[in-house]
Amino acid sequence: MDAQLKRGLLDVCVLVAIKSEESYGYKIIKDLKPCVVLSESTLYTILKRLEGARMLTVRTAEHGGRLRKYYRITDAGRRRIEEFKEEWRQVMTIYQFVCKEDEEG
Amino acid sequence: MKKEEYLSALEKRLSGLPEKEKKERLRFFGEMIDDRIEDGCSEEDAVQELGSVEELAEQIIGEISLPAIAGHRMREKRALSGWEIALLIVGAPLWLPLLVAAVAVALSLYVVLWALLLSLWAVVLSITILFVAAVGSGIALAVRGDVPAGLALLGAGLFCAGLSILLFLASLGATKGVLKLTKKMIFGIKKSLLKKEERA
Repeated sequence: MDAQLKRGLLDVCVLVAIKSEESYGYKIIKDLKPCVVLSESTLYTILKRLEGARMLTVRTAEHGGRLRKYYRITDAGRRRIEEFKEEWRQVMTIYQFVCKEDEEG
Repeated sequence: MKKEEYLSALEKRLSGLPEKEKKERLRFFGEMIDDRIEDGCSEEDAVQELGSVEELAEQIIGEISLPAIAGHRMREKRALSGWEIALLIVGAPLWLPLLVAAVAVALSLYVVLWALLLSLWAVVLSITILFVAAVGSGIALAVRGDVPAGLALLGAGLFCAGLSILLFLASLGATKGVLKLTKKMIFGIKKSLLKKEERA
């Protein structure tokens, strides 16, 4: 898959993983596993990028005697998910057009 | 391998990174290991799931941009002590031309590579044009009555077509190869920048 495309897709996947409630690194990887296998270092890069784009906020909290980072989605992050859905509605229309051509040809 | 062992091995590999960034990454991977253990993994398994230290370090180096590493190295350079700076200045007539020459040679070799590619593509283009022209004039000649000459030109044109297709594939392969080489070179430069710092 095209690297740029994949990056965009993974960004949205991570945003969806923290959409309903804040989450932490390991949980995000586990939640996404049925859909996509994410390596730790890839996740780190994505989280950094999303934080830089203000699509999520980070807080550090104590958990079981150690520190854990929690990621929470922002309004900008939610908007990104909606944008993604709209973009892909268009992509799917094109996809169906392409497949129909295949059947007829 | 235990968590502490793994993280300190990783730290060594990443010693060229800016301190803050390195700490942050180590904490992130430490948290990942702890969460796996909490999830029921043994410490060894949790560490193993992150992959080998070498793999992880290579991945991290691959993800950080070259300007970020080089920029960090430059900033480090400013922390030289007074006598080191003096020595650098005194030695400048010697090391500066050498450095410039070395960089220039490396750069020109790289440019030559692209120039070769460019000329290869130019050959492909000109043979393709030759093919079109030969076929066109061959047909024109044949129509006008000079059939043998026309056929000969047509044959030559088709030969050019075959040649241009072969050369096109070769050029495509060569271009892809150079692009791959560029990627490897950038990775190599990043790695060597990080290594130098390890010694310091």
